[in-house]
Amino acid sequence: MAVRAQFESSNEVGVFSKLTNAYCLVAIGGSENFYSTFESDLGDVIPVIHTSIAGTRIIGRLTAGNRHGLLVPSTTTDQELQHLRNSLPDDVAIQRVEERLSALGNVIACNDYVALVHPDIDQETEEIIQDVLKVEVFRQTIADNVLVGTYCAISNQGGLVHPRTTIQDQDELSSLLQIPLVAGTVNRGSDVIGSGMVVNDWAAYAGLDTTSTELSVIESIFKLQDSQPSAIVTDLRDALVDTFS
Amino acid sequence: MSLYNFKKIQVVPSANDFLDIILSKTQRKTPTVVHPNYKISRIRQFYMRKVKFAQDAFEEKFASLLEDFPKVDSIHPFYADLINILYDKDHYKLALGQLNTARHLISSVAKDYVRLLKFADSLFRCKRLKVAALGRMGTIVKRQKDSLAYLEQVRQHLARLPSIDPNTRTLIICGYPNVGKSSFMNKVTRADVDVQPYAFTTKSLFVGHMDYKYLRWQVIDTPGILDHPLEDRNTIEMQSITALAHLRACVMFFIDLSEQCGYSIEDQINLFNSIKPLFANKPTVLVTSKIDSARLEDLSEDNQALVRDILSDSNVEMCQLSSHTEEGVMETRNRACDRLLSTRVEAKMKGQKINDVLNRLHLAQPEKRGDMERLPCIPAAVATRVKYDSNDPKRRRLERDVEEENGGAGVHSVDLHKHYLLRSDDWKYDAIPEIMNGKNVADFVDPQIEEQLEMLEREEERLVKEGFYESDEDEDGDSDSANGMEPTDNARIRRMARKIRDRKALMNVERRLRRSRSSAPMPQKVARRLATGDQLREHLEGLGIDEAISSATARSRSRRPVKRTRSPSRAESMARRDETSVAARAQSVVVARSETGVKNPVQLKQSERLRNVAQRPRNLNGRVGDADRSIISAKPRHLFAGKRKMGKTDRR
Repeated sequence: MAVRAQFESSNEVGVFSKLTNAYCLVAIGGSENFYSTFESDLGDVIPVIHTSIAGTRIIGRLTAGNRHGLLVPSTTTDQELQHLRNSLPDDVAIQRVEERLSALGNVIACNDYVALVHPDIDQETEEIIQDVLKVEVFRQTIADNVLVGTYCAISNQGGLVHPRTTIQDQDELSSLLQIPLVAGTVNRGSDVIGSGMVVNDWAAYAGLDTTSTELSVIESIFKLQDSQPSAIVTDLRDALVDTFS
Repeated sequence: MSLYNFKKIQVVPSANDFLDIILSKTQRKTPTVVHPNYKISRIRQFYMRKVKFAQDAFEEKFASLLEDFPKVDSIHPFYADLINILYDKDHYKLALGQLNTARHLISSVAKDYVRLLKFADSLFRCKRLKVAALGRMGTIVKRQKDSLAYLEQVRQHLARLPSIDPNTRTLIICGYPNVGKSSFMNKVTRADVDVQPYAFTTKSLFVGHMDYKYLRWQVIDTPGILDHPLEDRNTIEMQSITALAHLRACVMFFIDLSEQCGYSIEDQINLFNSIKPLFANKPTVLVTSKIDSARLEDLSEDNQALVRDILSDSNVEMCQLSSHTEEGVMETRNRACDRLLSTRVEAKMKGQKINDVLNRLHLAQPEKRGDMERLPCIPAAVATRVKYDSNDPKRRRLERDVEEENGGAGVHSVDLHKHYLLRSDDWKYDAIPEIMNGKNVADFVDPQIEEQLEMLEREEERLVKEGFYESDEDEDGDSDSANGMEPTDNARIRRMARKIRDRKALMNVERRLRRSRSSAPMPQKVARRLATGDQLREHLEGLGIDEAISSATARSRSRRPVKRTRSPSRAESMARRDETSVAARAQSVVVARSETGVKNPVQLKQSERLRNVAQRPRNLNGRVGDADRSIISAKPRHLFAGKRKMGKTDRR
């Protein structure tokens, strides 16, 4: 199920929230509308947690995580860490990471099995990612962008990458991640996929500007509501060709 | 959305309003006071400014009008033709052309009069020239009365045109009058076109939008067309023809087989054939409407043959529908959309642009890597959860609802502790200190602290058992006593000697280290002066002198510490303060500059004498120094000459 949402009239849903298979983090905003969008769908299944990181609301860009763990930057305060520890299930590990590239959400893209990271990330951080998130780590770029977390959104079922990713790159990334991939956009043509949407294995949230074509690509590639990725090259193809050029 | 938005053209004022606007603007925005006794250049400049300002204002207004109206030659041919049909292209161009001429005329009038103003020799002449200039400009504008009125009408009509995007996916509905075009339009879109049982209900183009296959589609309802030569067609019909001619769309040609529209099937088929050239290269759907009254199969052989003749063209397909019973409406729509989409995709796949987006049509499938199975992780609760429904009375109570109940956004502050997952729910709201005894509590929080402590203790025990802490000296003593030897004088002396040697070696090393540093060494004389009690004591101890003596002497010199006011009685502490020398220090003592740094009165006297001697030569000359007061000019001219005007009196 893919849903459109907006955080205080910003379409960058992925900046203000973090969604995994075991928990969902939501920024503390002026009203509860954004939080309740998540709560109404996910509230019965996984904890939906209000939080700030280092006093900011851009939690989606500062944190990285999957169902095994959550990595927060060194700027996270002790109180925030305590709050997260209290709110998260016990089997989710939290780790504060001393990393120069402190926007971990921008430099790490991960699902429950594999993580793509910024090529310049610290060796120590890489080991922490392996241990805490229990993933294989690959240093990669997406369409020549080093900020892998910004330019893609992945779940265990599929992934959406930057619209300028070449076919060879897509195939290579797909083999690394072991999931089907497609290049696309969100929010009416925005290429910052990671900050424009959040996704886990059964739900996706994209910005309010996302067109119905984009949303149907999202539903297909992430296998939401029983749709299959192959629909992109069959049913959706004509619509895609007509909108692109 | 659309490239063509004619709603933003600003209102075209009538000639009189135009004039009023410009003249009042000139009056408001230029200076208004001039005197006959001003210098003539100033008067000329005053009036020239008015003339030039009026010209600028006229020019600006005309330019913006000319800019706003669409230029027939540069817009999409569909709109160009539509403007031609609705407003007559020649008339339209003429009106705009006249405005342009008027603009040039006005600027040349202004130029002439500004030139004349340069030779005016009095205020009166200047004024007459200005009046004449503005008057002539006014006449020019008034002559454009008809053009302006016409353009205003065009503007109003343009603003009400449907905003048709000529390049998007479009279905065009056409056919004879009264065959059910608008009824179909109303069924597939939300346009709400007027439907009446007489011909030419629809007198202009109407646009509706719908969604199909994740895409937005534009549906254009056209007025009915009759079958006669192009030159006989009226404005209403020509709009349909324009749309058919210029939009690359799917054409849906409606025919009424029941002939309830008042036209025979033969006429309708003839119309199809006569406007067929307009359907070239466009997917065409022949729609037979009103099938609740008559179907193709019910027709006579001749009529059936006529219809089948049309369908023999591969480009034409037939669909049947009834807007009344809604039979076939959606099928027809989908059929038309699919055909248009496939033609558009085919055309686009041939173009160059598609190469840029080919990567987005590719689905990358992974090659198998390793034996690990990477299954999605979807909790069981996902399948069984109830979809949130805002009308369900038993729906989940969301934070948004809580917020509403507590005064809405900005008033309610969210409860962050509510969902804590703790061993006991009572702990949720426990206050945890952040700082305790000046230490950050979080620094000492460690979930494994108990285990780690236990581990340390175990290791400690082990070490003790292994005798890790038993020191060498003890070992020495042990071995001595074990040997049963009395420590003789000799042995003691040897031990002392060893200690001395060790110490010397250490000192040597220290000295070498001290020497090797880069900064200049401190002279011993100074170092001694700066030495603190601690260093002294260390030094003395190192020499083996009892430190008690030395520290006692040091203490006696320093001030006794004042106890803090924490003491039980304040009076007591006050009294103690009086005892000490604090009181004396509390007052600041001002010492004359000449007396500072002087030891005793003798020295003071000596210094005074020296000073007087030094000043003697200057005193003898009687020179003026900086410190002497002087008044350079008793009556400065700039303050006492000329007329007094407002505010000068005080300055004197």
